[in-house]
Amino acid sequence: MRSLAERVYVWAILLSGVAFAASRIGLLGDAGWLHWLFLAAALGAVAVLAVEANGLKFGDNRLRRYALGWIIAAAVALVLWAFGQKQVQEALPFLTAQRRIWGALEPFGLYLAGLFLTFMASLLVIGTLDPIADRPRPIERTLIRRLPAKVAAVPMVMVALGIFVGATLWTVYHSFTSSKLLPKSDFVGFDQYERLWATNRWIISIENLAIYGVCSLTFSLIIGFCLAALLDQKIRFENTFRTIFLYPFALSFIVTGLVWQWLLTPEFGIQKIVRDLGWTNFTFDPLFNADIVIYGILIAGLWQGTGLIMVIMLAGLRGIDQEIWKASRVDGIPMWKTYLFVVIPMMRPVFITALVLIASGIVRVYDLVVAQTSGGPGLASEVPAKYVYDYMFGGQNLGQGFAASTMMLLTVLVVLIPWAYLEFGGRKRV
Amino acid sequence: MSSISIRELKLNFGSVEVLKQLDLEIEDGEFLVLLGPSGCGKSTLLNCIAGLLDATDGQIFIKGRNVTWEEPKDRGIGMVFQSYALYPQMSVKGNLSFGLRNQRMARDEIEQRVSRAAEMLQIEALLDRKPAALSGGQRQRVAIGRALVRDADVFLFDEPLSNLDAKLRSELRVEIKRLHARLANTMVYVTHDQIEALTLADRIAVMRHGIIQQLADPHTIYDRPANRFVAGFIGSPSMNFLDGNLVRNGSAAAFDLAGQRISVDGYRANGGDLNGGGTAVLGVRPEHVTIQAQSRPDQTIEATVDIEEPMGADSLQWLRVGDQQLSVRKRADVQHEPGSTVHLDFDLAKASLFDANSEQRL
Ligand SMILES: Nc1ncnc2c1ncn2[C@@H]1O[C@H](COP(=O)(O)OP(=O)(O)O)[C@@H](O)[C@H]1O
Ligand SMILES: [Mg+2]
Repeated sequence: MRSLAERVYVWAILLSGVAFAASRIGLLGDAGWLHWLFLAAALGAVAVLAVEANGLKFGDNRLRRYALGWIIAAAVALVLWAFGQKQVQEALPFLTAQRRIWGALEPFGLYLAGLFLTFMASLLVIGTLDPIADRPRPIERTLIRRLPAKVAAVPMVMVALGIFVGATLWTVYHSFTSSKLLPKSDFVGFDQYERLWATNRWIISIENLAIYGVCSLTFSLIIGFCLAALLDQKIRFENTFRTIFLYPFALSFIVTGLVWQWLLTPEFGIQKIVRDLGWTNFTFDPLFNADIVIYGILIAGLWQGTGLIMVIMLAGLRGIDQEIWKASRVDGIPMWKTYLFVVIPMMRPVFITALVLIASGIVRVYDLVVAQTSGGPGLASEVPAKYVYDYMFGGQNLGQGFAASTMMLLTVLVVLIPWAYLEFGGRKRV
Repeated sequence: MSSISIRELKLNFGSVEVLKQLDLEIEDGEFLVLLGPSGCGKSTLLNCIAGLLDATDGQIFIKGRNVTWEEPKDRGIGMVFQSYALYPQMSVKGNLSFGLRNQRMARDEIEQRVSRAAEMLQIEALLDRKPAALSGGQRQRVAIGRALVRDADVFLFDEPLSNLDAKLRSELRVEIKRLHARLANTMVYVTHDQIEALTLADRIAVMRHGIIQQLADPHTIYDRPANRFVAGFIGSPSMNFLDGNLVRNGSAAAFDLAGQRISVDGYRANGGDLNGGGTAVLGVRPEHVTIQAQSRPDQTIEATVDIEEPMGADSLQWLRVGDQQLSVRKRADVQHEPGSTVHLDFDLAKASLFDANSEQRL
């Protein structure tokens, strides 16, 4: 009887979590109360156990401290829920500024509070059933181990679930609907995706992203590393150089874009300067040439971003034991070979950090394009992020925007998953 | 012919003078240890010999060749570092052969050298492992191997054992000594550990503030330290220093310690004037004092028994003479009542007298 009730308990908890996630996305429609049903089933299982234990004992229950911990966790969740309530927000005006966030967290608060109270009840039962158990059973172990850390993590987990996971799933779900100005829940299959891949503008965006991505990755890493290696030669004025190279990073993409739009305009910028110097046939107008406009954007992106990569690489180089350099000098290894075969392999974690930073910058490149070309000439410099933005907020076609952002997410996953598999999965088997 | 010859070497880091006018001749096949406290410039001197630092002034000769301006790889040296400095992404074999492959040496020759070094250091079984999969002692063996395959005339060690635990340290110490006996090439070894210095060295150069205080064989350094710094730095438990005066006692000189006198007849002077009088410091190691029950005029000194520190085979007895303290090494089974008075007999032949001002040996 006991093991059956425990099994029901675990399954009911899991199913209530699934039901809750589904109802958040809007999958369940009217059955949005299903997770409460499962939670009630879990409580029922706890009640069965309580009958078996002849009631709950509080006084000398060995798990009462942990039960208290879960009550605190439930209280934290309830407070976050309360922040989303209209009356509370009216009473506490400082909450109104982040009204949207509190609104997004509200349903999570209520559900988690219920869940934690269920945990509390189950702990009290277990504590009564096994007053002096020398080895904790699985449920107990899950619920008591590092409890303070779990309680402290409640708000963070709610934000992560509510805003990141929740919003992502919501977006993916609605990309299969015919949402226009407002989100709708009518399922239309892959219609939005078929339309997306039939759109010329999307194809150009993807091509541009590919070119920008490959070039930006390669050149950021190479230029960043070379600058860092030069700065690492114990040169004078290192701080000055570092500041100069890092300075563009302090500018917003919009400012960067405008500066480079100006520099790349034939009538004022680089072309004019070179022509004034005597080369009257010199032409350099990437922003006005549909074939190479993306490289004009690339230049601005590199100018803005390599400084940060350089600083990260410099920190990595400084972390290399000086005796390694001495050893390779005694061995007579030329400096470039030491960099290539010894130092760069040692800097693998630094390269991965840099890679992630650059890659995330690539996928969301948007402001630079808006500031420099607004996607022109024609559609020649469109990028996916701009496509998403324009359809969601300009074109009043949420379905297309969602489909496009889901494609972007998919691209990131296609890159990320094999890498994560190699990085984390592969090592255990060696 | 000396193997390494350093003439008037100076080295500054910016405005800080680390080495000042340093002269040093190292014989062919000699094991020379540079010993001194942290920050005295030992590593700096070694790096100058290796060519990893450019001398501010002065010259360095290796095997009679002026190498002052040559790159490390052309100096005919191999070097071993405290942090091992192995190339972490390469296997042990890769570490040993990387330098040789880079010189475009013939493959069989590389194979031969690597296997010879691996055999000497007993790391044949580890050749395919990465450094991360080795223990500290094994890593340092590989690092020594990397110096070995270079077939260098001179080996330079910069505190190679400092990162190891005590047991491995003594094992590897013996191994390095054996290696020197087998290869018989010149080795310069930096350490701040006097035990390493005393056990390994043919000669020890004791350094302080970038100056060589004394350069001599371990016996001389131990028994006849050139100054108070060397005397205090070498030896464990360390030497006792007693402040007193040199006085005339009839026709002979004597050391006056708070009113008690002992004759310094047996003292082997360094040419210093013992009859001149004045303040002096008597330096005597704990093992060169014996505790007597009976007093003898002009030979023994009265002392009060203090605490005892057992050290296993023997123990260290602390005593007070006036307001000065000293320690005496004695057998563990002889007990003295704390507070009682005993008589100390100093072995003046093994003691040192230092001028109180210059701190030089008299
Ligand atoms: N690169 C450097 N720049 C400035 N001062 C240094 C440098 N390397 C060493 N020093 C200084 O030189 C002195 C001697 O250092 P070192 O030779 O490493 O001492 P050790 O005897 O402990 O090996 C120290 O006081 C140290 O602070
Ligand atoms: Mg050092």
